[in-house]
Amino acid sequence: MPTDHEQVKAGSWRDPLQVNRRSFALMALGAIIGLSLAGYSLFTVRGVSSLSVPAEDVALVNQQPISRSDFLALLQTLYGVDLSHATPEQRRQVLNDMIREELFVQRGKELDLASVDPEVRSALVNAVELEISESAITAQPSEATLRDFYAQHPERYVAEGIMNVRDWLFPVDELPRLAGSQEALKATVTTPDVLVRLHGRDSGKTIGDEFYFAARIHLGEQLFAIARELPEGAASSPITLSDGIHVLYMVKNTQPARLDFAKAYPKVLTDYRNRAIEQLKAGDESFLRKRANVRIADDLR
Amino acid sequence: MRFTIVIILAFLIGAAVFAEIGQTERRLLRADPDALTADPDLRRFAVRRGQPLFLVHCAVCHGAAGAGDRIKGVPDLTDGDWLYGGGRVADIERIIEYGIRFRHPKTWSLAVMPAYGQPQPNPADPNIHPLAPGQIDDLIEFLLRQQGREANAAAASRGAALYAGDAGCYDCHALDAKGDAAIGAPNLTDAVSLYGDGSREALFLSIAQGRQGVCPAWIMTLSAAGIRETAFYVYSISHREGFHAD
Repeated sequence: MPTDHEQVKAGSWRDPLQVNRRSFALMALGAIIGLSLAGYSLFTVRGVSSLSVPAEDVALVNQQPISRSDFLALLQTLYGVDLSHATPEQRRQVLNDMIREELFVQRGKELDLASVDPEVRSALVNAVELEISESAITAQPSEATLRDFYAQHPERYVAEGIMNVRDWLFPVDELPRLAGSQEALKATVTTPDVLVRLHGRDSGKTIGDEFYFAARIHLGEQLFAIARELPEGAASSPITLSDGIHVLYMVKNTQPARLDFAKAYPKVLTDYRNRAIEQLKAGDESFLRKRANVRIADDLR
Repeated sequence: MRFTIVIILAFLIGAAVFAEIGQTERRLLRADPDALTADPDLRRFAVRRGQPLFLVHCAVCHGAAGAGDRIKGVPDLTDGDWLYGGGRVADIERIIEYGIRFRHPKTWSLAVMPAYGQPQPNPADPNIHPLAPGQIDDLIEFLLRQQGREANAAAASRGAALYAGDAGCYDCHALDAKGDAAIGAPNLTDAVSLYGDGSREALFLSIAQGRQGVCPAWIMTLSAAGIRETAFYVYSISHREGFHAD
């Protein structure tokens, strides 16, 4: 049989005095933990005012931090040394320069330079755009997402075509003698004697292998449209233009070919991110417009 | 009562550990990052804490081992070959902070590889003109010769003239084609290939289509200590021979 003392001890968890003490202790502990976490967050989170200089900064100028990393980078840029090899004078000079810059930036904000200086405005716009696009650039889309994007835009991932085409030019009055089958024309433009007899000459518009875009510029739209359809070793029908009769002879024609996903991957990723950034920018602009109070002059409505 | 004491003790131990970590992080941040590689305690601390950050934020592109992906043009962080900077902790830290071509004002974005097979190779620089396919082939032969590989001698000579002349490659990659880490222009004479397998086809694609890889800036996501710890971890995997976390 347990003694009275033992019974009291066994049932001590029901003792109101002890339960109250424990509640208070736990409450106090909770409060201490909460306050500690709040205090830690309050004094260590990035950009918060503090009396001591945070470890990641080298100075606070009116509570604005000057980053240690920027300090090291500037030290390296100006003097080509790292922190341990920099002289006290070099460190002081760099720090003074950075403090001066911060003071002037703060003064610029006081003067509200953003409202008048186009460069400041432009820099602010860029900075806000960066802020908006950050999540799009930082996020890495899955391969399946990129493959979908690649499949949706087949026209973007194509290797430029390459052609080597000769453009023979004949006087207009030779047109009757140029008529004939494709084989006859091919024989004409590939036989020097015949070319001389018909007063044919190379127009000089193309030189060897050219990308399609270059051939288009050099030949002009009309001749290029005919050239791109010519197979290798074929000659075109005579084409009458203002400068004479043209006959194209295709030496080599590599049609644009679709890049496989692996080869196109870097471009697919860039295009996908650019699209995501544009969508984010458009969304943010729409949000800003919605919440802004914009009044437009009567004459421009 | 015993329960309360246990709770308080656990809290105090937790607070002490937390304070110790905070103190070590402050030491880590205040020290010269390049000198820290010689401090075994801080080195261990940074590498241990940097690894999970790397796995969460960087491994998605660079892979869990940091070996990169040449198909995607993601650099290998373990080969000791540095495209930007010299591979010092401070250089790595700078890249993690502000990224590469990330549109951040402080990002590393001084140069892009123009797309010489496009009508406008670099929209930002109208003075760069496209090249003909044959000229690109000549440049490739020149690069292969510079790498000590088999190349067509006549084409390589023409390519050398182009490289140092009209194509303007020397402007970024230097006259000796050894690149310039200050602007992220790769060394074209070594066996390290960022995109593809270094074949003629892969080189043609790089020259004709251009390259401009992006690395995100983590300054808005990671703490200053997290960035330094990640930089240390990257440094550790790139210096396996002379740098051990344990």
